[in-house]
Parts: sequence; C-alpha cells; structure tokens
Amino acid sequence: MAKLTRRGFIGQTTASVATIGVLAAVPTLAAAPEMTDVAASDSTAAAELYATTFSESLVAHVSDLASGEVTIMSGTKEFILRDTDLVMRLLKAVH
Amino acid sequence: MSSHREAPEISKDPVADSTDVYAFVSPDKPDTVTLIANYVPLEEPAGGPNFYEFGDDVLYEIHIDNDGDALAEITYQFIFQTQTRNPDSFLYNTGQITSIDSKNWNRPQFYSVTRVNANGTSTVLGSNLACPPCNIGPLRSTPNYQQLAEAAIHNLTGGGSIFAGQRAEGFYVDLGSIFDLADLRPFQNLHLIPSPAAPGVNGTQGYNVHSIAIQVPKTQLTSDGLNPTDPSSPVSVIGVWTTASRRKATILQSNGQNVESGPFVQVSRLGDPLINEVIIALGDKDRWNASQPVNDKQFAHYYAHPELAKLLPVLYPGVFPNLAAYTKDRVDLEAILLTGIPSGIITGFQNSTGSTQADMLRLNMAIPPSSSPNILGILGGDLAGFPNGRRVFDDIVAVELRAVAGVTIPLVDKSFTPDGAASVINDFSPPSIPSGVSYIKQFPYLGVPFNGFDSQPHP
Repeated sequence: MAKLTRRGFIGQTTASVATIGVLAAVPTLAAAPEMTDVAASDSTAAAELYATTFSESLVAHVSDLASGEVTIMSGTKEFILRDTDLVMRLLKAVH
Repeated sequence: MSSHREAPEISKDPVADSTDVYAFVSPDKPDTVTLIANYVPLEEPAGGPNFYEFGDDVLYEIHIDNDGDALAEITYQFIFQTQTRNPDSFLYNTGQITSIDSKNWNRPQFYSVTRVNANGTSTVLGSNLACPPCNIGPLRSTPNYQQLAEAAIHNLTGGGSIFAGQRAEGFYVDLGSIFDLADLRPFQNLHLIPSPAAPGVNGTQGYNVHSIAIQVPKTQLTSDGLNPTDPSSPVSVIGVWTTASRRKATILQSNGQNVESGPFVQVSRLGDPLINEVIIALGDKDRWNASQPVNDKQFAHYYAHPELAKLLPVLYPGVFPNLAAYTKDRVDLEAILLTGIPSGIITGFQNSTGSTQADMLRLNMAIPPSSSPNILGILGGDLAGFPNGRRVFDDIVAVELRAVAGVTIPLVDKSFTPDGAASVINDFSPPSIPSGVSYIKQFPYLGVPFNGFDSQPHP
C-alpha cells in the first residue's frame, strides 16, 4: 500500500576506421616489416605468435588505415603491425 | 544501486557487471578475512529456462593492495566453464537436483581459482570446483537448497574456503525513491516537488545475484605474512577491488558460436560502493570501469565537488543551507573514499593506504569483528563496519548519503556545522535492514537465494 500511495502521488503531479576479422592464419605475416608485441615488447613473443596462430583463430583489426597499423590478436596475445601494403590489400578485398 | 547497471556500457552486459564488493574480518573466524564480489544484477528468481550463470567468457578477479601503492600485490582469478549434459533437452534440470553432482542438472558450472602475486607467479588454489544450481523451486527442482549450496563450499589449497554461485541480494536501497530526483526521507515533504511521508521500498527485494566469495587467513593477505594485531600499523590495511574482463575481440559466427581472441580487457570494476554509480559523471563512467585504481587521481574532482552535494540544497530549499554555502574541496570524501582515513581523525582507527588516490574498499584487518554491529558502521560508532571494509548488512546508502550531505566534513574542517537534515537521512526509517532481507551467520554470509517458484520480487 505504501508503494501505491507514493507512486500514486507522483502520478498526479574506437574511433576505429575498420575492423576486419580473419578466421585463419595469414601467411603474409612472415613479411611484416614492423611488429610490436603490445603486451611485453618481447621479440620472442612474435616467434610465439607464429608458432601458435596455425592452431588458433587470428583476428586482425585495422585500427588506422592511414598509418597502416594493424592489431593482430591470437590467443591472449596482441601485436601491432605496421604494413600499409597489407592494409591496402585488405581494403581492396572488402571493396 | 550500489554498482548495479551503473554505467552505460556495462548495463548491457550483466554477466560482467559487478554489483557489490564486501571485505570484512569473518565474525565467526576472526583470523580470516572474507572477500565477496557480486555479479549479475537483479536476477529475477523465476527467470528460466536459462537460469543465471557466470560468464565462461569473462575473467573475474578480486585484487588486493597490501602496501599502499594502489596496485594489486595479490589477485584471485576465477575462470568458469559450463557444461550442457543433455543438449537434446530445453530444460535447466531434467528432474530433481538433490545433490550438487546430480545428472538431472543440465547446466552445471565449474570454475578454477588462481592466486597471482605481484611478481607474476601464480598458484592454482582449486580447479573443477562446482557451483550450486540456481534455486528453482523447493518442491520439485531444488529441494533442500541450503544443503545443495553448502556442498558448493570448497576448501582451498593452502587454507581458506571458496564459494561461487547464486545468493540472495543483500544490498538494500529504495531505488525508486532515490533515482526519482533524490526523494529522501524523512523530509520528502520538503522536496522541491513534495510528496507525503512514506516508508521506504526496497528496490532489490526478492532478487538474487551471483557471488564469488573467498575466505582466507589474514596472514595470506598481509605484506609481511603475519597476523595483523595493531590497528595503527599500515600493514594492517588492505585495499580491495574487483574487476571483470572480456577478450578484446569477439567474432560472431553464423553458427551461433562466438570466436574470441586477444588479451583480456577490463570492462567492469568496483571497490567502494556507489562511486561509479553516483560520484562519477555519465560521460566518464565507461572509462572509469576500464581504468585502474592507481590512476584515479584523474577522477578526484568528482569527489571534491560531488554533483549530489550541489543538488541537495536545490532539491530541498532551505534544508541544507550550510552545505549550500560550503565551497571548499570535499577533503573528507577524498580521504574516506580515495586514500583512507588517516590516524588521528577517529580514535583508535585508521585505514589509510597513503597518498595515492585510488578507489579501493579499505579494510583494517586488526579491527576485530563487532559483537553488536551497527549497520551505519563507523558513523554509528562501529569501527568494524563501512567504510572500514564493508559487511554484507551495512547500510552503505545511508552512510554515503549522509557523508555527501556533509556529516563527515567536520572530521577535516572543524569550522563547518552539518545541517540537521544531513545526519537523519535514511532509506528505511529508522535506519534498519528492510524486512525480507536475510543473511546467514557463516560463510558465505549472504542469504539463501530466493527460489523461482515462490518468489515475488520487489513486492
């Protein structure tokens, strides 16, 4: 009843440019000119990526078309790749 | 609410939405501390057939800072895994669930708990631990629910206990009143748009939550590994918060199965109650959830001049004249909520974690449990209650509303006299635990969840 009384009274009165998911390993990564391990900045981590991606999904997020920056995710790892050529080819693929 | 649906993005993701954090010296085992992180707000008990679960795709964590740097020296991680025993049935249970390993429970959930230290070393404290089912109904589906839930309390490697599963909501608040332009009792008739006096309505009444509760010896939480006995020692104080994280990328596939990839990204956090709910402004709430306590200085201006403190004198003309005239930074709120209360302010008490401003629930573990608890905690003269950690029954709404209204300003500014109204604000008059809210006297302390068959949430 209290509820009704109260209610009754009141009653009166990512700047992301593009995201591309790639559900398969991407062999062209071997030619990547620049790669940074976001998590650890450890060059061996990149090698780990090559070792693991062939058994896991791989997701690429093109975070900045102009700079050619691609974020690569595999497992719980994340890397940033700068490859304008790859970005352009990916862009072509979706147009 | 305390932190239920408190920010735009997380309100769309209840499985990862932290609702409350509790940290207190266990009243029945005072050599231990109980830490509880609640998730999945406002579970309507009859909400089947897909009853509530933790997210298998969410990393749940409880963090402890034990040296005052606002960084986690200890993190407990919880990873869940759910099974479907009979994919050919639509039922949550295909018969009575009379034991926690009953084959009739069609969606059993299991989890692991791992302790991660500051140096990155991790220790699995338990794996393949069973959650209890949701409380469906006392006659047919989940008879003897209390026993079912007790079977889901597990011992941890190295000492302590753990429970993860459904519990009755222990947080109480008159939601409909507070979010209706801060309709506060006992002076509703003095509101800019007045209404007659009416008793409080507990907006969370009859709902359930999902709790992760862990009880560990104090010696596992202190920086020196010793049992804290000196309330004045910084070693006695810990800061606690919870986070939930999701994988950075999710690909939705046409077969209904998601592919997830990338590192975990924090989407929810909670330390002190009501901070992101009431103190942080809408434009910063999602960012607050994704940020770290150690970087909370960026949000300190919200504490220094909280919007609610400005609103009260406007909504209640003439009721808060002293608060209206107070233009200084709210150093009291900054201390209580961002750095802890230093020694010398309250006799026999401190829970300071130093000068780093950070939202953490601060617990002085050397303060023993109270034999006669006061739900207003320290404001009620009970040093074992909020904001010295938080017990499941503490009336944190009344405490924080009164603090924002100015009752704590004299702790740091003797020239200020609180308005008379500030010290009598309450949700439930007199301050009390609303009827229907219940707790238990032992771990995990939150009450048996409401069952779907009988429940009448928010009556």
